[in-house]
Amino acid sequence: MIAARNLSKRVTTAAGPLDILTDIGLDIQAREAVAIVGVSGSGKSTLLGLLAGLDLPSDGEVFLSSHRLNDLDEDGRARVRGELVGFVFQSFQLLPGLTALENVMLPLELRGDQKPCEQATELLGRVGLAERLQHYPKQLSGGEQQRVAIARAFATEPAILFADEPTGNLDKVTGERVIDLLFSLNRDKGTTLVLVTHDEQVAGRCDRLIRLESGRVVADVKEASRA
Amino acid sequence: MIRWRLAMRLLRRNWQSGEQRILVAALVIAVAASTAIGFFTDRLGRGMANQSADFLGADLALVSPRPVDAAWLDKARTTGLQAIETLEFASVVVSGDELLLASVKAVQDGFPLRGSLRTAPAPFATDTATSTLPLHGEAWVVPRLLTGLGLQLGDTVEVGAQPLTITRVLTFEPGQARNPFGISPRLLMRMADVPATGVVQPGSRLSWQYLFAGREVDVEKFRAWLQPRLGPSHELIGVKEGRLAVGSALERAERYLGLAVLAAIVLAGVAVAMAARRYSERHFDMSAMLRCMGASQRDLLGLYLPQLLVVGLLASAVGCFLGWLAQYGLLYLLSGLLPATPSSPHAWPVLAGFATGMVTLAGFALPPVMRLKDVPPLRVLRRELLPLPNRAWLVYGAALCAIVAVMWRYTDSWPLTLSVLAGGIALTVLLGLLALLLLFLSRRLNTRVGVAWRFGLNNLWRRRRGSVSQILAFGLTLMAMAVVALVRTDLMTTWQRQLPAEAPNHFAINILPERQQEFRAFMETAGIATAQLYPMVRGRLIQINGTAVREAVTKEARSDNALNRELNLTWTTRLQQDNRILSGHWWQPEDTGKAKVSVESKLAERLGIELDDELGFAVGGQRFSATVASIRSVQWDSFRPNFYMVFPPQVIDSFPATYMTSFHLQKDDKSLLRELVARYPAVTVLEMDRVIEQVSRIFRQVTLAVEYVLMFTLLAGFAVLFAVLQASQDERLYEGALLRALGGSRRQLRAGHLAEFAALGGLAGLLAAMGTECLVWMLYSEVLHLEYSFQWRVWVFTPLAGALLVGAAGYRGTRAVVERSPMLLLRNQ
Ligand SMILES: Nc1ncnc2c1ncn2[C@@H]1O[C@H](COP(=O)(O)OP(=O)(O)OP(=O)(O)O)[C@@H](O)[C@H]1O
Ligand SMILES: [Mg+2]
Repeated sequence: MIAARNLSKRVTTAAGPLDILTDIGLDIQAREAVAIVGVSGSGKSTLLGLLAGLDLPSDGEVFLSSHRLNDLDEDGRARVRGELVGFVFQSFQLLPGLTALENVMLPLELRGDQKPCEQATELLGRVGLAERLQHYPKQLSGGEQQRVAIARAFATEPAILFADEPTGNLDKVTGERVIDLLFSLNRDKGTTLVLVTHDEQVAGRCDRLIRLESGRVVADVKEASRA
Repeated sequence: MIRWRLAMRLLRRNWQSGEQRILVAALVIAVAASTAIGFFTDRLGRGMANQSADFLGADLALVSPRPVDAAWLDKARTTGLQAIETLEFASVVVSGDELLLASVKAVQDGFPLRGSLRTAPAPFATDTATSTLPLHGEAWVVPRLLTGLGLQLGDTVEVGAQPLTITRVLTFEPGQARNPFGISPRLLMRMADVPATGVVQPGSRLSWQYLFAGREVDVEKFRAWLQPRLGPSHELIGVKEGRLAVGSALERAERYLGLAVLAAIVLAGVAVAMAARRYSERHFDMSAMLRCMGASQRDLLGLYLPQLLVVGLLASAVGCFLGWLAQYGLLYLLSGLLPATPSSPHAWPVLAGFATGMVTLAGFALPPVMRLKDVPPLRVLRRELLPLPNRAWLVYGAALCAIVAVMWRYTDSWPLTLSVLAGGIALTVLLGLLALLLLFLSRRLNTRVGVAWRFGLNNLWRRRRGSVSQILAFGLTLMAMAVVALVRTDLMTTWQRQLPAEAPNHFAINILPERQQEFRAFMETAGIATAQLYPMVRGRLIQINGTAVREAVTKEARSDNALNRELNLTWTTRLQQDNRILSGHWWQPEDTGKAKVSVESKLAERLGIELDDELGFAVGGQRFSATVASIRSVQWDSFRPNFYMVFPPQVIDSFPATYMTSFHLQKDDKSLLRELVARYPAVTVLEMDRVIEQVSRIFRQVTLAVEYVLMFTLLAGFAVLFAVLQASQDERLYEGALLRALGGSRRQLRAGHLAEFAALGGLAGLLAAMGTECLVWMLYSEVLHLEYSFQWRVWVFTPLAGALLVGAAGYRGTRAVVERSPMLLLRNQ
């Protein structure tokens, strides 16, 4: 489903060139749930961005499904994202001017769906927010906002879901509930999940764990072998 | 792909959150101002044409020394115009033993085609508009003719062989010669009575005047047809050429209106740009998010541009409507000036209003909104990522295009537009640099001021990029406001100076030299102040540098009135107050008795007379010459005695002279004229009060219109003010909250903000003062033709106003920082 070959990211800073990622090779199968862990600054978000086609590597290739992202321009990658990918972020990225329902409808409308309202309502019911459809993000708690974001991410039924520290801004209990929700939806929809997290417990619930250190993969273990 | 439903939903949400209000308000102001003025100038133009037509007695007049081809009149009639014939000639009129040279005008039914005659039942009695004409065998005459011949109403005069009974006193006649001095008194009679007089012989000096009137298009059509058929002796006078003293005033007013609207539009444009920038910045996250969800750049444009379009159309529609309403306000203020039944407004001001709205939006709002499509999707992971800033040329280029388009519409002149533009750009760059310098200097000051000021000035310096652009925006705003206000004041003083309340409205001419003192004493005892008494010697200009004047001048100038009749020559040592020496020098004591002359500038230009030329004059049978010592500009519409040729004393005072003067007479004092004429029968009194009254009424009305338009500009200025403040609000809110969280007290923060904004406004005001001085100087010399003088008030009031306005508005705006809990603000960030 996702493949990375010799992936490197190098940026130029005032202090000279800086390697954020070096020579990363990955193969992620469909329906696999992968956790990326590592200390702060190890390059997790950067890797996620590259895999999702939000940015281009300085070296190496990324494949999403059958698309070679390197061959596509920004608009082309956007189309692939629209087709295949959903996102959940640490800061919830809901649009403050739209209600919960409208936020979830957004990707559907963007895709040109005929009945975005029904689908969105159903999904919000699924994440337990059936009563809060017309509320604005400001009127929702952090956990509720993140649940809206999850509903939105699944709205288009993406094949792949990228999540960057989805519980980073939440307390432990709320975070766990959000993660539960994420995994249960993930299982139901058969989505491939790439999850960046600091939380080893969360990582433990994934099929596979990739550990980064200074931009290199230092460990890549399947759950089976861990067990 | 355009997603209307989604776009409209976002639009509605944005509207509810108040984000687009400033943008819309600014746009509405721009459109309303331009539409109102569009409607208005359209009508004003037509109204002015009507006024001038009333003065001319027609929409078009053709003057010819011979009767013209009858086919021309037929052509006029088939074109749909009314056409009548009048005849003017000089003739001695006789009553018993008394003779007087009169200027006779013979008219037919229908005269005048525009405006109306005014007559009175007795000399110096109240006059009324009259729609009839003298009957067969009758004549109407001006009071001068009655007094000159010692006649009463009902008496008979002979014009040639034809006796005519005088039935009314003529007080005003459309088409009266534009210079009332030196004309012999008027006698109005019927054209049908002319043959019986026997005065019209081959070789007599006649002037045929053909008057035409009709719809504007028809007049223009006929004019275009006629123009190529005219010979050198024909003169065609349209309403423009026929404009009187009010002409220059109205023209200036029209330009002022244009200028004020331009300022309003540009200001509103700046406000739109500011508001659009804020709008854009607040939508970066949304764009990044949508990009993540798979929206292409075109999808984003398909989402934002329809919103912009709808906002533009709605705001333009509201603006047009308001402009249309506002126009009625203007119409009301200028009711007397415009046609009684205002012709239905044309549709084009509405179109132009929409165009202004869309152009302003495209020029000022499009670049920042276009930036939204370039937001990198990676921003969802790294918040600090921004789209590449708009390329400077795109932003300024678009704004410039918008300004040029709008300006061109108002000035209708490319050179003017481009030069103003170049000046504007240079000024802006210069002012930007100056703003930076001022900021730097004020920071230096920093160590000597209180804590609050230090905090404020430090803030400004820390955000200096933003501060400079804010100072510039405020500065330009204050400048536009100051310029428009200043020009208004100067226009008004100019008009007031031109026609002060006590402006002379009567002229007394032909005062005999030996009765000069006595006349002055008479007026003094009557309590009437008279201007200087000017001697008048009638003479002709016959030579320029030794060449006969007809050969010396260009072909077009040969028919110039100044060559074909006697000029009034005068001498004085005092320069008339509205005259200016353009070259050479005015009389010094040592010039007394020297053969020198000062020439009026327009005449000098027409005849090609230059400084140090030798002019030959003939007075009676005697000839003499004088060297041109100065060229003098004269304000002919000041209604003061003015002369083409002015000599120093003791050059022409050996020639027979009479004296003239002017004075102001109240309506109630008119009876004094009767006494004056009885006591000094030789003196001729010219009554200008009716014309002056009309002119001053027009001035008053135009003044009102000018103030009305000023309001639009000020409104636009305030819109900018708020847009700019709002644009920087978010950042300030966050900072303020942070400071409070770190333990800053409310009082400290308040004082600091007040200081910051006051400094911002003060610096902007200082900048505006500099800009105003430059701009006003340029406008006065190039566009409005007004006298420029250094304006110290600008330097005091503009910075003060800036500090107060911006200080107060900014202070109010950041109240939220102080009042809301810092927690709330930080969380919302
Ligand atoms: N464009 C860039 N320019 C300079 N430095 C960059 C750029 N992009 C990333 N970095 C740096 O690369 C390193 C890795 O960043 P990244 O955001 O991927 O870390 P992370 O593992 O997600 O950290 P965290 O757990 O704190 O989110 C960081 O030190 C970051 O500052
Ligand atoms: Mg990260």
